[in-house]
Amino acid sequence: MPMNSKITRAPEGLSAGTASMSTAPAVGDSARAPLGPIKIAAKEVKVFYGEKQALHGVSLDIPDKAVTALIGPSGCGKSTFLRTLNRMNDTVPGARVEGRIEMDGVNINDKKIDPVLLRAQVGMVFQKPNPFPKSIFENVAYGPKIHGLASSKSELEDIVQSALKRAGLWDEVADRLHAPGTGLSGGQQQRLVIARAIAVEPEVILMDEPCSALDPIATAKIEELIDELRERYCIVIVTHSMAQAARVSQRTAFFHMGNIVETGDTEDIFTNPRERRTLDYITGRFG
Amino acid sequence: MTWIFLIFMAVFAVLSFWGGRKLAVRRSQGVKPHSRPGQHGLYAAIGVLAPALAVMILAAVFSAPIERQLIAAGAPEAVSQLEPFRREAFIADARRVGQGGEALQIWAAPYAELLPTEGRRAHSIHAALSWGGMTAAVIAAILGALFVAFRIRPELRARNAVEGWVVGVLFACATVAVLTTVGIIFSLVYDSLRFFSMVSAFEFLFGTKWSPQIAIRADQVGSSGAFGAVPLFAGTFLIMLIAMAVAAPVGLFSAIYLSEYASKTTRAVVKPLLEVLAGVPTVVYGFFAALTVGPALRVFFNTIGGWLAGGPLDGIGQYLLLVQNQMALVAGAVMGIMLIPFVSSLSDDIMNAVPQSLRDGSYAMGATKSETVKKVLLPAALPGIAGALLLAVSRAIGETMIVTMAAGLAAKLTLNPLETVTTVTVQIVTLLTGDQEFNSPKTLAAFGLGLTLFVVTLALNVVAMRIVQAYREQYD
Repeated sequence: MPMNSKITRAPEGLSAGTASMSTAPAVGDSARAPLGPIKIAAKEVKVFYGEKQALHGVSLDIPDKAVTALIGPSGCGKSTFLRTLNRMNDTVPGARVEGRIEMDGVNINDKKIDPVLLRAQVGMVFQKPNPFPKSIFENVAYGPKIHGLASSKSELEDIVQSALKRAGLWDEVADRLHAPGTGLSGGQQQRLVIARAIAVEPEVILMDEPCSALDPIATAKIEELIDELRERYCIVIVTHSMAQAARVSQRTAFFHMGNIVETGDTEDIFTNPRERRTLDYITGRFG
Repeated sequence: MTWIFLIFMAVFAVLSFWGGRKLAVRRSQGVKPHSRPGQHGLYAAIGVLAPALAVMILAAVFSAPIERQLIAAGAPEAVSQLEPFRREAFIADARRVGQGGEALQIWAAPYAELLPTEGRRAHSIHAALSWGGMTAAVIAAILGALFVAFRIRPELRARNAVEGWVVGVLFACATVAVLTTVGIIFSLVYDSLRFFSMVSAFEFLFGTKWSPQIAIRADQVGSSGAFGAVPLFAGTFLIMLIAMAVAAPVGLFSAIYLSEYASKTTRAVVKPLLEVLAGVPTVVYGFFAALTVGPALRVFFNTIGGWLAGGPLDGIGQYLLLVQNQMALVAGAVMGIMLIPFVSSLSDDIMNAVPQSLRDGSYAMGATKSETVKKVLLPAALPGIAGALLLAVSRAIGETMIVTMAAGLAAKLTLNPLETVTTVTVQIVTLLTGDQEFNSPKTLAAFGLGLTLFVVTLALNVVAMRIVQAYREQYD
């Protein structure tokens, strides 16, 4: 990816050795699997919406080639934190982000970093599927086109095809690539949006409650997909479902009132939390 | 007298409201009533007012013909021998004299003496009828009050009855607008049919010569009475095109600026300002076109003509030297300015209806603002914007004042924006202003034009509304 060097220069020692993934662990028992090196290191991140402070100094290390789940009750700041990782808070009028967020050692929360280029590296999937009112093909081709990733039509077609395949949607839409993307079912739309995000070859994928608008079957498919994508990407997922966090993630961070209460391997958090509040939350006593 | 009667009825209604309430409270001692006391009060007030109003409306409708009959029946021999319209005039004058006024015309021997007595008689008939009407209304109100007093008891469903009346009144108000439209259509169609019985519809729709003046005497010249409306349609179309060429891009771009780029404070200032433009009366735009834009553009083109004249482009120069104040370009451009707030405000609403999640999706892909606008927002809003533009076209076609003041009257068949042209609306205005004879095709042509205009704008509005509607449903 030539473009990456514009924003983040990965330190030699970090980017090497990440290929040492052992056999992909099955969903659920993945907590002890080797994780990649630290991809994103957030240090004392504070977010203000006007006068209101939404995050009070959050620090979190996010490993590469793994799924990190952010859990916590509504309004605890987990989505806000997620949106700092691709500078989406820049689009909110009156929002202000303080602190360092290092991606491969480069502070992305810096005026000098162009958010437009950053977002090509950090893809995002939203709560509600939001395909553009275009064809399936055009939806996936959107990113490659605006970033000039394909030099010819056939190259663009290859990119679209491989993105759709990786998102597990190719078999369902191969014969109707030029039908409108909004005509797909909710679960298919969400996978289309994931395909759209991975078509620009990001390194990080952020997911903001990606299954909250889907039925259980579509949810299972997306979770399966997330587990597959883990082999290539650094994934951060916000979820309200404890079960989902336990199923898909290797690391979990529990947010409460704009702070991180506890971070750890998912298995530890769910079986043996250190903090009283974590235990109360995961056992459903509040939130 | 009538005023005292109306005040009396109002007081009666208030008293019955109050009485109904008291009665309901008293009769439901110890029982839980179905409706609240206030609802019983309203029920009583309606029960009194509704029959009284019905009688008053009937009296208003029927008293005039009855009065005419009674006056005619008792008139002396000499009066009933008059021609109908003379008789009307005589009775009207008799009324004036009877009330101490002066007659409008001079009446000959037998009639002059009859004026005061006939006047007094007509007046007493009128008074008797209006007293009769008022008495009937009061009786109806009292009967209503008795009925209500009998009905009010705890188990009466006064709430439902009052709600039913509320629905009825609202429905009646909604019907008025619809019925008015139907009436307008009927009058248009009726007079248009009279016109098309004199001039063939084919000649009207496809003829290329418009000259509605008709010779009254055989020796008049230049008054052929040709009713080919194509030059008018062409003029309307030309001015509409110019107006849309101004309004569509400027309105659309300002909408994009307002909805996507402007900060909250800018938006709070600019949007109301734009909407003030929409509130300017069109006659003011007409002044602006005729007195400012027209002369300015004439000077501009004449100056260019002066430079070109005598050179290699002498022909164009000579033409530009002769350009006048009144031209399609002036009317079209000013009309376009008038339509800018219309287009921008509608498009702004439509773009705001595009869900934020689409913008977020695009930004999250690393798209810039203008890429997002061009590739996501505009395609998503396109149907709605098309609808907004169609509505603007329909306004441009129906606009009257600006073109009357700035476009001219000559019905030329041309697409040159520097020529003076005329539009359908301008011709309707000129055909129907001043004293008119409502039997000549010249006057009736206005109805033919009006019907055409009505059909075209109605069709445009229906299509535009459907597009806007279909679009709105998509994201709700």
